[in-house]
Amino acid sequence: MSKEKVIYGLYDDDDIILDAVKAIREKGHHIDEVYSPFPIHGLDHAMGLKHSRIAITSFIYGCIGASCALLMFWYMMIYDWPMIIGGKPNFTLNENLPAFIPITFEMTVFFASHLMVITFLIRCGLYPGSSSTSPDPRTTDDKFLMEIHVDEDAKKVKKIKDLMKKTGAIEIKEKE
Amino acid sequence: MYIFTKNTQIICLSLIMIGLIAIGYGFYSASKTHYSDDEIKEKVKSISYNLASTKNSQDINKAKYDSHHGSKKHKFSDLFHAVEKELHCHFSEEEIASAESIDDVIYITKHYFHAKKQRPWSSLFASNLFFLMISLAGLVWLAVQYISQSGWSASLLRIPQAVSAFLPYGGIIMLFIIITGALHWHHTFHWMDSSLTYEYVVEESMQTDHPIYTNEKGDGIISNANYDYIIAGKTAYLNIPFFILRAIIYLLGWCLAAFLLRKFSLKEDLEGGVKWHNKMFTVSAIFIVFAAVTTSTAAWDWIMSIDTHWFSTLFGWYSFASFFVSACAVIAIITIHLKYKGYLENVNENHMHDFGRYLLAFSIFWTYLWFAQYMLIWYANIPEEVTYYQIRFESYHILIIIALILNFLNPMLLIQDRDAKRLKGQVLFVAILILIGHFIDVFVMVMPGTVGTHWHLGFVEIGTFLGYLGFFTFVVLRSLSSVPLDQKNHPMLIESKHHHI
Amino acid sequence: MKHESAIREPLIIGNKSLHDITEDIAKPIETSANKWWWSLFVVSVVAMLWGFGCIFYTIGTGIGVWGLNNTIGWAWDITNFVWWVGIGHAGTLISAVLLLFRQKWRLSINRSYEAMTIFAVIQAAIFPGIHMGRIWVAYFVLPIPNQFGSLWVNFNSPLLWDVFAISTYFTVSLVFWYMGLIPDFAMIRDRAVKPVFKKAQNFKEKISNFIKEKTSRYNIYSILSFGWSGRAKHWQRHEVMSLVLAGLATPLVLSVHSIVSMDFATSVIPGWHTTIFPPYFVAGAIFSGFAMVQTLLLVMRKVVNMESYITIQHIEMMNIIIMVTGSIVGIAYITELFIAWYSGVEYEQYAFLNRATGPYWWAYWAMMTCNVISPQLMWFKKLRTSIVFTFILSIFVNIGMWFERFVIIVTSLHRDFLPSSWSMFSPTFVDIGIFIGTMGFFMVLFLLYSRTFPVIAQAELKTILKSSGDNYKKKKK
Repeated sequence: MSKEKVIYGLYDDDDIILDAVKAIREKGHHIDEVYSPFPIHGLDHAMGLKHSRIAITSFIYGCIGASCALLMFWYMMIYDWPMIIGGKPNFTLNENLPAFIPITFEMTVFFASHLMVITFLIRCGLYPGSSSTSPDPRTTDDKFLMEIHVDEDAKKVKKIKDLMKKTGAIEIKEKE
Repeated sequence: MYIFTKNTQIICLSLIMIGLIAIGYGFYSASKTHYSDDEIKEKVKSISYNLASTKNSQDINKAKYDSHHGSKKHKFSDLFHAVEKELHCHFSEEEIASAESIDDVIYITKHYFHAKKQRPWSSLFASNLFFLMISLAGLVWLAVQYISQSGWSASLLRIPQAVSAFLPYGGIIMLFIIITGALHWHHTFHWMDSSLTYEYVVEESMQTDHPIYTNEKGDGIISNANYDYIIAGKTAYLNIPFFILRAIIYLLGWCLAAFLLRKFSLKEDLEGGVKWHNKMFTVSAIFIVFAAVTTSTAAWDWIMSIDTHWFSTLFGWYSFASFFVSACAVIAIITIHLKYKGYLENVNENHMHDFGRYLLAFSIFWTYLWFAQYMLIWYANIPEEVTYYQIRFESYHILIIIALILNFLNPMLLIQDRDAKRLKGQVLFVAILILIGHFIDVFVMVMPGTVGTHWHLGFVEIGTFLGYLGFFTFVVLRSLSSVPLDQKNHPMLIESKHHHI
Repeated sequence: MKHESAIREPLIIGNKSLHDITEDIAKPIETSANKWWWSLFVVSVVAMLWGFGCIFYTIGTGIGVWGLNNTIGWAWDITNFVWWVGIGHAGTLISAVLLLFRQKWRLSINRSYEAMTIFAVIQAAIFPGIHMGRIWVAYFVLPIPNQFGSLWVNFNSPLLWDVFAISTYFTVSLVFWYMGLIPDFAMIRDRAVKPVFKKAQNFKEKISNFIKEKTSRYNIYSILSFGWSGRAKHWQRHEVMSLVLAGLATPLVLSVHSIVSMDFATSVIPGWHTTIFPPYFVAGAIFSGFAMVQTLLLVMRKVVNMESYITIQHIEMMNIIIMVTGSIVGIAYITELFIAWYSGVEYEQYAFLNRATGPYWWAYWAMMTCNVISPQLMWFKKLRTSIVFTFILSIFVNIGMWFERFVIIVTSLHRDFLPSSWSMFSPTFVDIGIFIGTMGFFMVLFLLYSRTFPVIAQAELKTILKSSGDNYKKKKK
């Protein structure tokens, strides 16, 4: 296997890098990563990233939360120690359901949001103590960095560098 | 320019025909099988007499049979069944169980026939109220777009404008229903009955058709047995002249706002510039203030006063939430209809996404208000409030469950997902179900106070609804086809065109 | 986002470039505080310590040190609780709702809103906590069996709903806020210089190098930023997650203040049991939250030089919302009054008559003046774009909203069904001290925040620079 080279192209405008991504992808090159200080609208589509499924996980977590809440009410108030409180008989779950709905809702939101955030952090590998993997610290300020991995093939490297130059990169770097 | 095609017109007109037939049939059948109060009294008495003479011999055996089988048969159930057969009516189990004397049987039978007479009026009122308030909510939706400076909707504002074109039509029928009520043609608002609000009655006049009621004691004046002190306490607000005056004020105010917003936007098309846009902003802001007050008071007048004893501070907001979701659904449906016909080239799936959000958000909001009102009354269990839900949960629970499924679970499950919100077909399906669900909600607001437990969702009610649907669609689409569909000089058109989520 | 109508005013002024935004927002963190900040801080700390003293006195002696009596079992404590919770509601609601409605002007202010939310909820949580009396058995409110057998908490009680609602709200708001902060912390981290030390000669130097390294700005913000590096996929997930969190937070906020209102509305006490309470409390919360944030931001934009980002237009927008929510609250007051008369129930009627004309008439009319009448002045464009007027009005609204809760709680209780137990309430120095203490504590937290956190969501703000920055807008014209 040949050694891999990484080419970095630094841009200073979000519209320019968006067009650059489109142009370079059109030429059939795969763009491995773009580092940017803020989300660029339409970039994920231009890079060919799949839709994030994090919203679906949140829905599932919410369903789990609602079920946990109902199970908790059933066990604590109906099965284990039923009591009549304020004229509200705790004999079946549905007779007393209006009083249980507020907490069911809270538990749904609690599970849906916290578990989703935890999922996000795990999938992105973010945790306190983890250090930045961005090759250039200016990408959290006002610069945008494109990263392309290529096999060590001088012709191809040059081609990509030219493309970057043409599409408006202000700095181009190469790394083994 | 939208062309109101022949085919669509024929569909609308045939729906109107169905509606006319349904209303006509409703009034016809109500008058055909109607018995006057005296007739009912005579008939029930004679049935009871006949029954007593034939029953004596069987009684002993029957009683044995009943006790053996442990069924608790009510002592008047036979009489009720005989009356049902003879007069072609129907009684519920609770009604049969509640009777304690022959007079109660007569009272319950009378109640049945009053409800029957009221039925076509109630169905007319419910449908008219529903579409009138949708038209108003459509106008509110339009005004909200202006005052919130929304960009996305700029290319489809002709649609809410057209929706508000129904206001004068629905308004005139509303006034007709109110005035006929004041003339005692029907009893949608039973506080209009003056026998309830006066403490005393002139004794001599009691046998006549029009007894004279008074609040002052005197010779030949006795206390009024029908006097209802709670309703009497509300006469400062609920009296016929003030009621009609209020209705006229609301309707004039709403129609004026609709007229001005339409006129200014047409002027904007011709002249351009931001002058007319700013004027519309001002009109919208003033209208929203007016609507904020009148939607509540109109809901108290036209809906809450049906159940005259009952009161709820939330009622105005809750019922308006219902109409607002319905208006969002109507605007979405018309937009999608136009899209299928090939109009509105600037509208794409991003706009669908916004409609999906509106529908989802306000459906959740409606459910929240529904729950807040229901749960607080259920929890506190105060007699004067809880009766409202008692009749609804005893006799209308099927409709309530259907309404909650259509109005809450339906958008929650079907347009929760981002991709689902962007599909025309899916938004259309959900919007239609929401519209049906909210009509059922309005039905449950109106019916229990007017026809009581004797409700039907039969040919008369559904036919009237369909007729109104045709009427409303006809008015709205005709209005839509009379002006250019796309606004030319709205300053935010560019945002709407490039709208992207 | 790119195509913006020409009639919209620019939201970022002063010819800013992307780098200027970075500089401006990092500046308060990288420089030291001025004397205005320090003097405010000292005053706040003193108030906070005084409040803590009163809290310890309460816990040590019992809640008899408050002005409560048999008739008025809830007074300043719950008033303060609802007031703080109300203020704490605006933040997340605003940023979530405005995010869903894509109102761009939110971007300059949402960070401070959310911070205010979190700090205000902390103040709110103090009151029910100390009202328990024996705070060391506070875990009784959790759904765990007690030690005498498996007797559980009562899920029918609105007070327990509060426990769930407020804890969910607090944690979700915190997470929502923090997730937005991660990219901004990363920005501060990348500007900080990684400390380099000479090789340590002895143990003492080793220790000192270690401490210096761990407490360096680079290290602290590196930990806070969770290693954020701005990858495209991460941004995509981050955007979806923010949107879903906003979608969850919006009904959550509605539910939490509704549940607070249900503490009152589920009862059968005239003046408390009205069905409009849930949405009306929510509107009131937005109202008071906006007023509080106006008070804070008007000071903050001056102290940390954010005038380019929090413009007159932002202030005007907030004033319009104050006017709208104030009117909603006004309609709710009038609805309550009208329906009390309309109900025909004499107890209801008396409760409201007593509010307006009874011994606490001054509280009622203070509430009406501050909350309903004064926001109507915002109809005049001149007034709603005046900074001085806005500042005064926002303080009026804060006072009015405190009186609203006082009116609801104390005047409904002080004349109950038995005239023999009618009573009046007068606060003790402890009541007042704790309230002042929470204000001090709140200010301490907010002042610390304004110097150590990026006070504007700079990453998000950069996305609208091209469509709403004045230099870019001019170019287009």
